[in-house]
Amino acid sequence: MPACEARARAARRAGRRRLAARLCALLPLLPWPAAGAAELTERQVALLTNNCVQCHARPDIGVPQLGDAPAWKERARQGEDQLLVHVVLGLRGMPPLGGCSACSEQDLRALIRFMAALPAR
Amino acid sequence: MKPSALPPGMRRRLLRGAAAGAAIGLLPGCERRGPEPQAPVGYTPGQRLPWINWAGNQACVPAQRAAPASEGEVAEVLRRARGTIRPVGASHSFSAVVPTDDTLVATDLLSGLVDHDGAACQAQIWAGTRMRVLGPLLADIDQALPNMPDMDYLSMGGAIACSAHATGMGFGSLSSYVAGLTLATPGGELIECSAARNRPLFQAARASLGALGIVTRLRLQNQPAYRLTETDRIEKTEEVLEDIVARRERHRHFEFLPLPHSALCVTVATDLAQPGDHDVGEEDPQAAQTLRRVFETLALLPAGGAIYDRVLSAVVGGAASTVRTGPSYQVFPHVRMVRFREMEYTVPAEAGPACVREILQTVQDRRLPVCMPLEYRYVRADDIWLSMFEGRDGCSISVHQYGDLDYRDYFGHVEPIFWKYEGRPHWGKIHTLDARRLAGLYARHWQDFQEARRAVDPQGRMLNGHLKSLFGV
Repeated sequence: MPACEARARAARRAGRRRLAARLCALLPLLPWPAAGAAELTERQVALLTNNCVQCHARPDIGVPQLGDAPAWKERARQGEDQLLVHVVLGLRGMPPLGGCSACSEQDLRALIRFMAALPAR
Repeated sequence: MKPSALPPGMRRRLLRGAAAGAAIGLLPGCERRGPEPQAPVGYTPGQRLPWINWAGNQACVPAQRAAPASEGEVAEVLRRARGTIRPVGASHSFSAVVPTDDTLVATDLLSGLVDHDGAACQAQIWAGTRMRVLGPLLADIDQALPNMPDMDYLSMGGAIACSAHATGMGFGSLSSYVAGLTLATPGGELIECSAARNRPLFQAARASLGALGIVTRLRLQNQPAYRLTETDRIEKTEEVLEDIVARRERHRHFEFLPLPHSALCVTVATDLAQPGDHDVGEEDPQAAQTLRRVFETLALLPAGGAIYDRVLSAVVGGAASTVRTGPSYQVFPHVRMVRFREMEYTVPAEAGPACVREILQTVQDRRLPVCMPLEYRYVRADDIWLSMFEGRDGCSISVHQYGDLDYRDYFGHVEPIFWKYEGRPHWGKIHTLDARRLAGLYARHWQDFQEARRAVDPQGRMLNGHLKSLFGV
């Protein structure tokens, strides 16, 4: 790969990282609901920021990203209960509870709805 | 495509992927069996929520779960809690330091920067802050941790509790960067500790396994923000070991990952970035899948194991190297997507080469079905009572097995080798030692720690079964 192309790719990657970092920093400040789906409480935004975005706002790792509706479409078809079981027990790269020991079932359901753009209950 | 024609991106994925699972299937017993349940407990929506660690080898179903959002709430939770209380950070410990069926206290909501001192280059943070959040927070005040592990999922409080570390002969564990802390005792008292204030408790609380209560704040001794360049290469393990002293002195950070049943290893050298440094190699998530298919095909051959080394050499040998450069908090960590279980012991630094050679030889002689690389790192000595690095420079050697494979036979063969070299087990990783053996490994301060623990928790409210075994209670 020519050096200039490598540098351009590196710059694009760095740009995506910066974007993800900015998103993480902005999350607590956003006027929720931002995605037109489920509402999150302030506490749930904190849980999202500390846990979910570690992977779901980290481009290039094969994980559906926050706000990427097409990536969530197939998963959302499984239904909220099935997604909840996957989150609690972990599946493939997804750690049990999404790494969130502070989350209640209610929190996890809200975060799932928010991530997968499921309708609010 | 011929393996040797793989683009840099594929090499890149194998280098890290070798540590994370791309080389799977090369040896009998290494093949994966598809996605298996990773959890040791079941769950049906509506049931009480279990807690499960990242590796999926520890679980519990706490009767009470608390997530305090302030120091006052932490103290209140501790005062009112019933039964055994255990704190939890990011759930990345492989050992049973967390499980309790009584009261689990999560620190997720104790996150963020409290204040900072630019002149002293110190920052006070809430102890539940995750490393991935901490990096940008510190960068905003032109500070950075002097060193970081190779993943940033950990909570700082949890990392300190287990004396988590990275690599670099000039750098101590994360616990050694703590210049002060606030401890919420099981009785609900908030105690500030530092070298000048409540020093004995400070020496105990900087690596406490969460046995003294819950650390709520940490004052970190940082350094001005800096940039790093990391270079990964495939090299020959014996050549690296012959040159190990020079390499650990030459580089700000050096580690290597020997591949079992192979003469090869991955070396990772990290230094301050120089003008003109730029990334080399492209991360392509699909490349690992391509390589894995090739290797799984090889594993079906009767002599698959015998050609392992030759294939690895052909695919990744020679000049294949990758480079990552950027702010320190972006270069140190790597993504960890493949579940595994880990045992790690820290042996005296000078014993590292002999110890790792003996492990590799044992794996080969006994034909243990292992393909995940080992990890070999150096850490500077400190004076923290239960730190694995107390009183001696350490060489930390870890062994890993995939999360869907049984680790016990492999680890069972390796652990006695660590004992032979006076190894101290990582508190957050798998080991089988109890109080009698541990007291001998921490001869200078074992009793000091027990006295400090009894003083703040005379009823043993912070002790689950695992901690009782460790401390002989």
